[in-house]
Amino acid sequence: MFPKLDPLLHSELRLAVMSILAGVESADFTYLKKQTGATSGNLSVQLDKLSSAGYITVVKGFKGKMPCTTCAVTPAGLDAFGQYVTALQEYLTAGK
Amino acid sequence: MEQNKELSARESLALINETLNNSRQEITRRSGKYLLLWGILLTVFSLLVFVLWKATGKPYWNFLWFVMPVIGFIAAAFLNKKETVEMPDNAVSRILAGIWRTFGVFAVSVALFTIIYSRANVNPLGTVASVVNLTPMILLLFGMAETVSGVAVRNRAITVAGFLTGVGGLIVCYLLGSMGEADGMLLFTFAGVILAATGLIVKRK
Repeated sequence: MFPKLDPLLHSELRLAVMSILAGVESADFTYLKKQTGATSGNLSVQLDKLSSAGYITVVKGFKGKMPCTTCAVTPAGLDAFGQYVTALQEYLTAGK
Repeated sequence: MEQNKELSARESLALINETLNNSRQEITRRSGKYLLLWGILLTVFSLLVFVLWKATGKPYWNFLWFVMPVIGFIAAAFLNKKETVEMPDNAVSRILAGIWRTFGVFAVSVALFTIIYSRANVNPLGTVASVVNLTPMILLLFGMAETVSGVAVRNRAITVAGFLTGVGGLIVCYLLGSMGEADGMLLFTFAGVILAATGLIVKRK
């Protein structure tokens, strides 16, 4: 029996965001946008979904006079990400 | 990456690998820019102190070293401001920043100690202070910082260069007996070139 893949992570953009955040302390919105190549609207929606699930924290603030949104992965998010990668590896191993 | 399409297991793993690697490389490359900046400053200042010291015979030109961090921090702030997207920190960039900040604090502390006690000529216990040679100490600290940086970015060339600068520089100092002399500044020029090369290697990684 294969473990079920987390549907929240099994989407291209959300998975890319989680992969970036897993390797850094925190990243701001413009960095995530540049790295993923997503539009602001789409990225905002996906960040909201990850935040609602408790996988990331989203802090809105200001840097000087400019608004700044900073995202960071939570322990629950890291755990889910780790389980997702393990599940993927099991799928691939079984497929060989 | 506009589509929120579902991926196969293989595609998902490939995406994770690619995203993680791209992000890691970009952040590490940024660290290289600052190493390059400090390498160039070290090369320029060591040559400047060497030339002025040699020409006038006065070691007071060594006080120019205290100008270097001021210029360095202003230039680093300028480079940082030029970035259109703020880069996050990852493990490697944090380690590199920590190593070189620690080196800076140690180097400045040792330099201040040497200046104060060399001038006083006696230490607080009342015994006569022996002359403290700064050049081999700074070279050793520099070599250690460089070697650990090489280990952090997993680059053998940087690791070996750090060892050569630290231990090799120390040996050259003792063999030539040029500690505290103008010629010793050229060892810092070598260290500066090595640091700038490290920055270039990290930037291109």
